[in-house]
Amino acid sequence: MRASPSTAAKEVPYEARMDSIIEASSLAGLGPDTISISNVNLSLGSGAARVHILKDISLRVGQGEAIGLIGPSGSGKSTLLMVMAGLERPDSGEVVLNGTAFNALDEDALARFRGRHVGIVFQSFHLIPTMTALENVAVPLELAGRSDATERATRELTSVGLGARLHHYPTQLSGGEQQRVALARALAPDPAILVADEPTGNLDESTGKQIVDLLFAQHAERGMTLVLVTHDTALAQRCDRVVRLRSGRIETA
Amino acid sequence: MTIALETVPSSRGPSLALRYALREMRGGLSGFYVFVACIALGVMAIAGVGSVAASLSEGLAREGRTLLGGDAAFALIQREAKPDELAWLNARGKVSVAATLRAMAKTSDGRLGLVELKAVDNTYPMLGQLTLAPDMPVSELLAERDGAYGAAADATLLARLDLKVGDRVSIGNATFAIRSVISAEPDKLSGGVGFGPRFLVSEAALRATGALQPGSLVRWTYRVRLPDAGANSPSANALADDARKALPQAGWEIRTRDNASPQLERTITRFTQFLTLVGLAALLVGGVGVANAVKSHIDRRRDVIASFKALGATGRDVFAIYLTQVLVLAGVGSLIGLALGAALPFIIVGLFGSLLPLPVVPAVHPGELALSLLYGLLTALAFGLWPLARVHEVPVAALFRDVASSEGHRPRPRYLAWMALVIALLVAVVVGLAYDKRVAAVFVVSSIVVFGLLRGIASALMALARRLPRPRITMLRLAIANIYRPGALTPSVVMSLGLGLTVLVTITQIDGNLRRQFMAALPEKAPSFFFIDIPSTEADRFSAFLKDKAPQSSVEDVPMLRGRIVSARGVKAEDLKPPPDAEWVLQSDRGLSYTSEVPKGSKVVEGQWWAPDYSGPPLVSFEKKLADGLGLKIGDTVVVNVLGRDISATIGNMRSVDWQSLGINFVLVFSPNTFRGAPHTHIATLTEAHGGDPARDAGLVKAVADAFPMITSVRVREALDAVGSVVTNLTLAIRGASAVTLLSAILVLGGALAAGHRHRVYDAVILKTLGATRARLLGAYALEYLMIGLATAVFGVLAGSVAAWLIVTRLMTLSFVWQAGSAAGVVLAALIVTVGLGLAGTLVALNQKPASVLRNL
Repeated sequence: MRASPSTAAKEVPYEARMDSIIEASSLAGLGPDTISISNVNLSLGSGAARVHILKDISLRVGQGEAIGLIGPSGSGKSTLLMVMAGLERPDSGEVVLNGTAFNALDEDALARFRGRHVGIVFQSFHLIPTMTALENVAVPLELAGRSDATERATRELTSVGLGARLHHYPTQLSGGEQQRVALARALAPDPAILVADEPTGNLDESTGKQIVDLLFAQHAERGMTLVLVTHDTALAQRCDRVVRLRSGRIETA
Repeated sequence: MTIALETVPSSRGPSLALRYALREMRGGLSGFYVFVACIALGVMAIAGVGSVAASLSEGLAREGRTLLGGDAAFALIQREAKPDELAWLNARGKVSVAATLRAMAKTSDGRLGLVELKAVDNTYPMLGQLTLAPDMPVSELLAERDGAYGAAADATLLARLDLKVGDRVSIGNATFAIRSVISAEPDKLSGGVGFGPRFLVSEAALRATGALQPGSLVRWTYRVRLPDAGANSPSANALADDARKALPQAGWEIRTRDNASPQLERTITRFTQFLTLVGLAALLVGGVGVANAVKSHIDRRRDVIASFKALGATGRDVFAIYLTQVLVLAGVGSLIGLALGAALPFIIVGLFGSLLPLPVVPAVHPGELALSLLYGLLTALAFGLWPLARVHEVPVAALFRDVASSEGHRPRPRYLAWMALVIALLVAVVVGLAYDKRVAAVFVVSSIVVFGLLRGIASALMALARRLPRPRITMLRLAIANIYRPGALTPSVVMSLGLGLTVLVTITQIDGNLRRQFMAALPEKAPSFFFIDIPSTEADRFSAFLKDKAPQSSVEDVPMLRGRIVSARGVKAEDLKPPPDAEWVLQSDRGLSYTSEVPKGSKVVEGQWWAPDYSGPPLVSFEKKLADGLGLKIGDTVVVNVLGRDISATIGNMRSVDWQSLGINFVLVFSPNTFRGAPHTHIATLTEAHGGDPARDAGLVKAVADAFPMITSVRVREALDAVGSVVTNLTLAIRGASAVTLLSAILVLGGALAAGHRHRVYDAVILKTLGATRARLLGAYALEYLMIGLATAVFGVLAGSVAAWLIVTRLMTLSFVWQAGSAAGVVLAALIVTVGLGLAGTLVALNQKPASVLRNL
């Protein structure tokens, strides 16, 4: 059963409701895990082209934990990441993030939840080309209705070393700088979970290392949960735990 | 399970959508030029037509007094005002009288010309300026001197009869010396279209001609200038009301300075509506450009849209951002169009100024401009919402891997409802504000049908290409495959070109038919001559004379009176409120006739014709369509005012009339006993067995003038030429407006082809890498464009011809002949434009170096 967000919104203050959600999650016995995935199955495509990508996956990630998702191409790493971030709905099974069950959320509620609680770093950065670095970082804050969006975005950019590049457009920045902007954008709403999909895939080795250092430094500083998808075993080893996928199943967790 | 409840913070409102929309446009308007231009062109057409029409109406209103020649004008047909009527008018203000009729002017060596004779008194003109060359006082101009009355004539009469100022002509029994040429006549517009040039004389001179026989077709107009008439004084209307009450039997047609030229006003309104619809067609064609532009913009921005969503934007948020962008762009296009449209009356006056025959007062008309803006925004929304709605469906997963596009998805019900609302609003504005709502409704329905058909044709063409057997010639195979492959140009090209072509064919077919009607050969068995003002006592002798002079011809002669419908089925004429196509019958005086037999060219369709010796209460036969328009049926009473008397008759039967025969046809034909004893004249036609011959015609005119100086001969050919020249001016305006549609269509087509450019480059590079030569690729592309263009052109010709046929036969009630030449021209032009524009873009694609493109694939 699902209550309508709009009707409930009129009656109970936001903070009180969030408290009740967290309390409800605890009562449901989910414990301190930030991410809880149970028996998730997902197929993509249609007809003869339909492929069973995630097969009965269950995974729990504790609060503040960093996990590295590795596996060969087509093993389902990115798809699992998308399921965790609420970007893809599983065919069956349950995903609970930070105490909120995704099954209960409609598309819009999921988008708002993501904006507040999940930060995403992409391999191809995906900055908005018509916006400056500062404006890019401010987007999730503005979408969440934060009145201090610009100040906070400035702080985030400064913290990733781009204080002098605030008003540059993506095309005026190097690959490494673009990825740092993307990282600042992901971190700006102070998310509980940061997911990164091959964050160094489009960068040279030394720039990639800088980004990874920055990523882990922020993880350590903020105590958030980190899910890192990578081909690079050495990089995965820097995480608290390595989860290996093969043909849509977890081989080692 | 948990319950997730989150609020939408208040700051995420329209301002955020606007901010993001504007940021999104920082890259410039590239990709939106066609969008902006399409809206600008359509809005310009509508705003321009509206502004010019409003400027003209304002001019007519402002000049109303001058056009009318007074504060109020009282017109009588076939009779002068009685002394008591004249006294009543004289007691109210200064009165100036003018009489108009058609007459034959004859030079000393016997050459003849039809003139619109106007006799005025010495107070003429009471208002405005009569411009003469050479200039002289009116009293001096018209005075009788050296055995001749003075006159002024239009330059066309001097040219036609090879006369110069100082020469003499005779009309009836009077001789005139042409003392000046008329350059401008202040009250000319209120008179309507004349068949001949103006000939201005004095009232005494008119009487001297002998043309004032009982029943001759003279219109006497008494203009009254009120003593205290300020610009907004209501006394003109009060005077009209008083006159109707005090002298109900007068039967005069009263006009006041507020409606000096109702006929012209109505023509302008009707014509404005037609041009507005043509402008709207341009906007609809532009709408296809809007849809194409929005679609390709959304396609290009898929990653950005997905990024917004990954960062917490809902489907509705991103929709709001891109909707705002569309509205901003539509606003920009509309403003450009408004500026150009608003400037149009100023440009026209600036360029043509005093050459204009109408009083255009250029001004900015905010109401017209607001309406055009509304049209622009609603059209952009109506066409932009469908592709915009797909924004909601762009999956964030697109950022991680290639996913199938959401192209095939039907928008969510919420967006479909919005679309329906916008379209309903557009239809409501188009139909609600139309002068003739039926025409507007037909336009709306036809547009929707044409859009539906074009969509169907695109799908059918793709399905057909898919099912065709694979040809062995590579070029042909490639061309056919290009027609149906995913992302093919077929739907957008068919839509872009189809509507534009349909409008173009409609306009050219109507244009061709109007020209044929007025400028080409006369209809079979149409008369060559009308003879008017035949005294009833001379009618038989005149018929015999004609038969003697032109034995091969047939002569028809009927009695004719003029009268106005005062009331019908007990309702006053002004309260009858018929539909627009039947209004004309009440607007002025009509020709009336009486006969014991069914008139030629008429057929009784309801009721019985009266017996030849019928002598009961007056009966009238009414034209069926108009009777229906006025809500009349057999047995109803119709009251007409003839020669100042109200005559009541019962409708005995209804007739259908073939108006196009150009024969003598009357709406109202009475039983012979109705007008017994009333003075009247006859009207006759002469139809030549083998068409006219200019030399023989001139001889006949001369013979008639010699034997019957009071009878006026009107050559049908010349009368049609006079109407034809008006039609030519009108068709010029229509062509101007439709040129905008055509320009829009070409822009949209160019835009649609450019949108497919990226695919073309990719294809060309891959095929070249695999060994295709440029000539072979070019051939394949040309063939593809040719096939799509041909299918669309054939549809455009069919749909446009049907639309033109409907307009010509139903609205204009004229005959329709399909203009094969212009249709073929349109098809050819469509093919040249499609293939030309298509190949122009493709040539660039073909010249791309494969390596540089491949590196970026």
